[in-house]
Amino acid sequence: MADTPMWEQIGTGFVQHYYQQFDTDRVKLADLYTDTSCLTWEGVGFQGKNAIMGKLTSLPFQTIQHSITAQDHHPTPDSCVMTMVMGQLKADQDQVMGFQQVFLLKNIDNKWVCTNDMFRLSLHNFGA
Amino acid sequence: MGDKPIWEQIGSSFVQHYYQLFDTDRTQLGSIYIDASCLTWEGQQFQGKAAIVEKLSSLPFTKIAHSITAQDHQPTPDSCILSMVVGQLKADDDPIMGFHQSFILKNINEAWVCTNDMFRLAIHNFG
Repeated sequence: MADTPMWEQIGTGFVQHYYQQFDTDRVKLADLYTDTSCLTWEGVGFQGKNAIMGKLTSLPFQTIQHSITAQDHHPTPDSCVMTMVMGQLKADQDQVMGFQQVFLLKNIDNKWVCTNDMFRLSLHNFGA
Repeated sequence: MGDKPIWEQIGSSFVQHYYQLFDTDRTQLGSIYIDASCLTWEGQQFQGKAAIVEKLSSLPFTKIAHSITAQDHQPTPDSCILSMVVGQLKADDDPIMGFHQSFILKNINEAWVCTNDMFRLAIHNFG
């Protein structure tokens, strides 16, 4: 880890924590958001910890497993960390689906929180 | 357009402009980056307008067409705009591929520039 840039350590630490919590007990994800955090979930917007947790805890599956294919992290001009994740998930007995998720992490009062979160399943209107 | 939040207008205009330039003459994309911009292209990092444009210009295809499946935009706490794009692209005669791209846009000296850009082809190690 010593040679990994700081923002990458923060980003990968967050990603590991986020999906582990999501897959085991997603109620605990509340710790990662603030009252001004924004989530866009499949194109629908939610603002604030309460609204975000209301959405995440009401998603219609019992079990879910995420697997990360690739993750990228950047420092931003405002000292945040931008993270993009591409992966696959399996919800209940549904088929495996690809997904994309982007986070913006910001250090507020010595704690890294997620101020922005966007999620999409990788579903295209394949022509052929 | 009138009812859309401002960050969504800026984000969707940027997305339209970016892919239009990319598909017609990607050597022109230098105008949207600054010297502090970061690009991660398929996991490989580039910093600064010159390095980014060199990477984009040297990509090994002569023709490319992007098609956007979905795009999301959010305001950030530091008055930037975070944009996420899901789409498909066709390069030369290769098969159509899915891609993911994310941008941070920041207003510097009255112009919106791209400070952060991440691109990945949607290729998974399906089990």
